[in-house]
Amino acid sequence: MNFQDGIAVVLLIAGCFFYLAGTVGLLRFGDVHSRLHALTKADNLGLMLVCAALAVLAADWRISALLALIWLLGLLAATVSAHLIARHARRGWE
Amino acid sequence: MDTAHLVDLLLAVGMVVLALQVVSERAVLRSIILFVVFGLVMALAWTRLQAPDLALAEAAIGAGVTGALMMMAWRRLLIINPDQPADTPRGRSRVAVPVALLAAALVATIGLSALNIDPHANGAGLIALDELTDTSLGNPVTGVLLLFRNLDTLLEMAVLLIALLGARAVSTPAHPNEAAVVETSAPLVGALLAILVPLSILIATHLLLAGTNEPGGAFQAGAVLAAGGVALVLTARLQPGERPGVVTQLAVTAGLLAFVGIGVGIMAFGEKLLVLPGTWAIYVIETAMMVSIGLTLALLFAGAPALVGRPK
Amino acid sequence: MTEILFVLAASVVFGIGVWGLLIAEHLLRKLLALNVMSSSVFIIMLVVAGGGPDGPDPVAQALILTGIVIAVAATAFALALMVSIYRKTGRASITEKGDDDR
Repeated sequence: MNFQDGIAVVLLIAGCFFYLAGTVGLLRFGDVHSRLHALTKADNLGLMLVCAALAVLAADWRISALLALIWLLGLLAATVSAHLIARHARRGWE
Repeated sequence: MDTAHLVDLLLAVGMVVLALQVVSERAVLRSIILFVVFGLVMALAWTRLQAPDLALAEAAIGAGVTGALMMMAWRRLLIINPDQPADTPRGRSRVAVPVALLAAALVATIGLSALNIDPHANGAGLIALDELTDTSLGNPVTGVLLLFRNLDTLLEMAVLLIALLGARAVSTPAHPNEAAVVETSAPLVGALLAILVPLSILIATHLLLAGTNEPGGAFQAGAVLAAGGVALVLTARLQPGERPGVVTQLAVTAGLLAFVGIGVGIMAFGEKLLVLPGTWAIYVIETAMMVSIGLTLALLFAGAPALVGRPK
Repeated sequence: MTEILFVLAASVVFGIGVWGLLIAEHLLRKLLALNVMSSSVFIIMLVVAGGGPDGPDPVAQALILTGIVIAVAATAFALALMVSIYRKTGRASITEKGDDDR
């Protein structure tokens, strides 16, 4: 295992940790807003770390740019859907 | 056991557990959501089986469009009768378990014995791969769909059209706001659409053009296009209309018309039926198919014969 | 190894789909079960078709792609039928005559 793989492994493990934390939050927290809080914050960071690890492994600018784009799109979708869910929850809409 | 087999095992167990949850969960909405997750795990399984075209199709059509259609149908039921119980009781069937066990055993027997058959030296797949080198296509799946077995693809477009016409025939016109789930005034929605809709067109075009040489093609592109349409319907930027205009009718039938037009027109030049005259014909037909598939799926989602812009 | 594993898993999923189809009363659940069944059949089709070093058999892949699209078309039509049945009868299930008072 060389230096590059080492960095990737550290990033991957960190990413998985944030995913785990986000999922635990989703399952353990009581109301919609806390659950969204856990999901959006932790999982977006987790996704970034996993994408970064894959970019390090690929060591290619094109693939890194695509991974960055994937992260940004995931961020956009998560932001807006969390926003809409929170709005509906506040208004007591089912 | 190495890592690859561990991934296989995870995927296999995931499929089985999710399938069990889809059919045994009592709340219908949860079942639908679990079905979408099942579709995504299926997409991962296709990737493991080295079939990226199918992975794309499964994620976009199998999980995405089917899930969206089911959720919209569930919403329609709730609109008709808001007091509908979210839980559905399980029916009692004494034969269910034995029949299911027999079915699984039968399928496993067929599958495992078919695995032991040596592949035919002149199998259709090998012939297709051989013939592909004579064409300008790099993606064998696109080759089979549009050159070697294009009658299947033509009839598939016909089935899609018939499904749309059938759905139109049996359903009453949707109320203009029935399909809009998101409050149109919510901030961020406009910003999301401003990025999402152009992006869906961009990705669909990329999938279409890449589809000749890489994974992708008209079906995946059409589904991505439909996703953009679904987003517009959900946010009431497009609303169900009563009467399809000429543009809608042309767009829905474009795939079929282009296919039949080129496939039959070629006979005037002494060729056989459905022999495509070159790469340009493939691009023309695939583009027309993408537009038709995208609009057909969006119309099926909206439950309406046409889509119109929001009245100002 | 991979092939056998996927064939076995898909067979179990098929059985689960059959079970779900038989025990479901709500038509939406029957459709979900049918879709689960069709997914398992697609997996078996691809694995059994075999293939070369460049990936699985392209003819099988094209047929499955066609199958996925046909499945979504059929599902959409069936959902429209279900909504219309519900509008007319107030029930999203089909029961035999005399079966109502269970």
